[in-house]
Amino acid sequence: MLRNRYTPYAFLSPYIIIFSVFWLVPILFSFAMSFMNTRSRTWQFDFFLNWGRLLEDELLWQALKNTFLIIALQVPAMLMLAVFAAVLLNSKDLNFKGLHRFAIFAPIVVAEAAYAVIFRLLFNDNFGFVNNMLALINIDAIAWTNSSSGATALIAIGLTWRWTGYNAIIILAGLQNIPKDLYEASELEGTSPWQQFTKITLPLLKPAILLCLVLSTFGTLQLFTEPTLLTEGGPGGSTTTVAMYMYSQGFKSFNFGYGSAIAYLIVFLGLTLSLLQFKLFGGKPDE
Amino acid sequence: MANIQMQQLKKNFGDIPVIKGIDLDIKDREFICFLGPSGCGKSTLLRLMAGLEEISSGEFLIDNKRMNDVPASLRGISMVFQSYALYPHLTVRQNLAFGLKIQKLPSDEINNRIREVARTLQLSELLDRKPKILSGGQRQRVAIGRAIVRRPKVFLLDEPLSNLDATLRVSMRVELARLHEELQATIVYVTHDQVEAMTLATRVVVMKDGAIQQFASPLELLHRPANIFVAEFIGTPKINLFKVEVQECGPQSITVTHALFSNPITVSIAKEIKFAAGTKLTLGIRPHRLSTKQSLDCTISAKVTIVERLGTESLLYTDLGLETLVICSAAGTVPIIRGDQITLGFSSANCLLFDDHDQAIERCLPADVQLLIS
Repeated sequence: MLRNRYTPYAFLSPYIIIFSVFWLVPILFSFAMSFMNTRSRTWQFDFFLNWGRLLEDELLWQALKNTFLIIALQVPAMLMLAVFAAVLLNSKDLNFKGLHRFAIFAPIVVAEAAYAVIFRLLFNDNFGFVNNMLALINIDAIAWTNSSSGATALIAIGLTWRWTGYNAIIILAGLQNIPKDLYEASELEGTSPWQQFTKITLPLLKPAILLCLVLSTFGTLQLFTEPTLLTEGGPGGSTTTVAMYMYSQGFKSFNFGYGSAIAYLIVFLGLTLSLLQFKLFGGKPDE
Repeated sequence: MANIQMQQLKKNFGDIPVIKGIDLDIKDREFICFLGPSGCGKSTLLRLMAGLEEISSGEFLIDNKRMNDVPASLRGISMVFQSYALYPHLTVRQNLAFGLKIQKLPSDEINNRIREVARTLQLSELLDRKPKILSGGQRQRVAIGRAIVRRPKVFLLDEPLSNLDATLRVSMRVELARLHEELQATIVYVTHDQVEAMTLATRVVVMKDGAIQQFASPLELLHRPANIFVAEFIGTPKINLFKVEVQECGPQSITVTHALFSNPITVSIAKEIKFAAGTKLTLGIRPHRLSTKQSLDCTISAKVTIVERLGTESLLYTDLGLETLVICSAAGTVPIIRGDQITLGFSSANCLLFDDHDQAIERCLPADVQLLIS
């Protein structure tokens, strides 16, 4: 009896130990650090130093603004593309479905550094393929890395290229859960394919789209790799994201306390946005 | 409301013929059941009628108008799906209104129709609920309501009761019969449950391998099956079949023998047909026509292997030592137990005969049966 009671915990213990040492302790410790002055020779508790600085740090607010701009530009566009791609991938008229599904999912398995190099070449301001193509149709070259709007757009394009397939696969799973009978019933009732999409597909895809929305928003709030590799946060800090700013505070300026406070700010913002999204778009369609 | 005709209707999936040339003439206001085992093509035939599958060849007409190329929504057909196919994100009211809104009917008209259907199907209390919280029977009624509210010429129902439990199935069966009376509509109903077909249908289409085996009234199927497949498929428990040998073939009767029969038995036939002595035929006798009384035209001695007590009747399974396992339906209280040696009697008037191609030899029906069928 005694053995039975403890056996599950014994099996769970490797995970619990690893989780505690490498996750839970750092999470709690970094929370405690956010209330400390870590620039002093011996770290001291200073409850308002870091959290107070959050409110008045203009660089942080700029980084937040940059991040939210990327979220606002990229997430809705990517989700629309992902829904479109998922519907195409689910089409009964599509041949070689497996190949297409792999192709759309492939960007996620490409190493970030590798795709960043390719993107920097493609979007080079002077000799990049994209600007050459634009020139062919008489559009002026875009300063992809030397203007704040170009750099923001470049990051949004990079993110969209990389994550559309991933979201499309989640949405595709949602699409495949919609019974075929519903479309047949609606066909008998005279709905056009567009009406089927707006009145059946989209409402029933709501949980999958909401999941993608929350994941993408949270993911973009933590955006670090793309701006670091594609634009290095520039020009003039116009694509420095809040995660990059946290990194620079924590690991370049060694201000661990302030870095931790920024990290928790990201978490609180993510949670708030997720709750808001659940509140606005949540609720299962059949409830 | 509508006549339906099919002429040499065929459907192939790739190279595989699934529907193999169906000829059917359904009259206005008939309740027709497509009955057959799984995979016989009955649901495919229904989907061809609905316009959910493309017809490979042949003609499909509603009220003498060719429907082959008419879109599903313009055929004047409503369909109830086996899974109900209710829109899960919409309330009952919205489900009922969905097709009417697509047709852009005025909202007054939509509300009136919904009210009427809700009253007929006792859905008034459920109008603002979503399908998820409805019981199976309630969902079924909503699905039927959605079909009715469009006021179609033809109703197609694809195994609509198969997801319900036994009790609910019986009550919904009664409700469907009442609805047919009330709507006076042409209904085509797919089922593999012969009780549903026998109780609901004015005529039944028995199908096998994409072809019609027989199209007749339920009682005619039972008493005058076209072939061994129909004879075996209709009737519970299954008909008993004996391989018999022709002893004598006259203009109005055939006398056959079997090693286990107490004596040769003479079956009256409706049309003269010639069989040489020694020809192998099949004789069928339904379990409820076998009697434990011995004073009948012919008897068989058998040992009881299993007794199934169903309450009002007892099914006696007997092993005759050959390939045949004979089932006899006896009274619920019959004092027979496993291992008993019994004698089963039967009358020649209740025997069915089938030729060597498994086709029925038309017989003279007993007067009471004749009266029922006509």
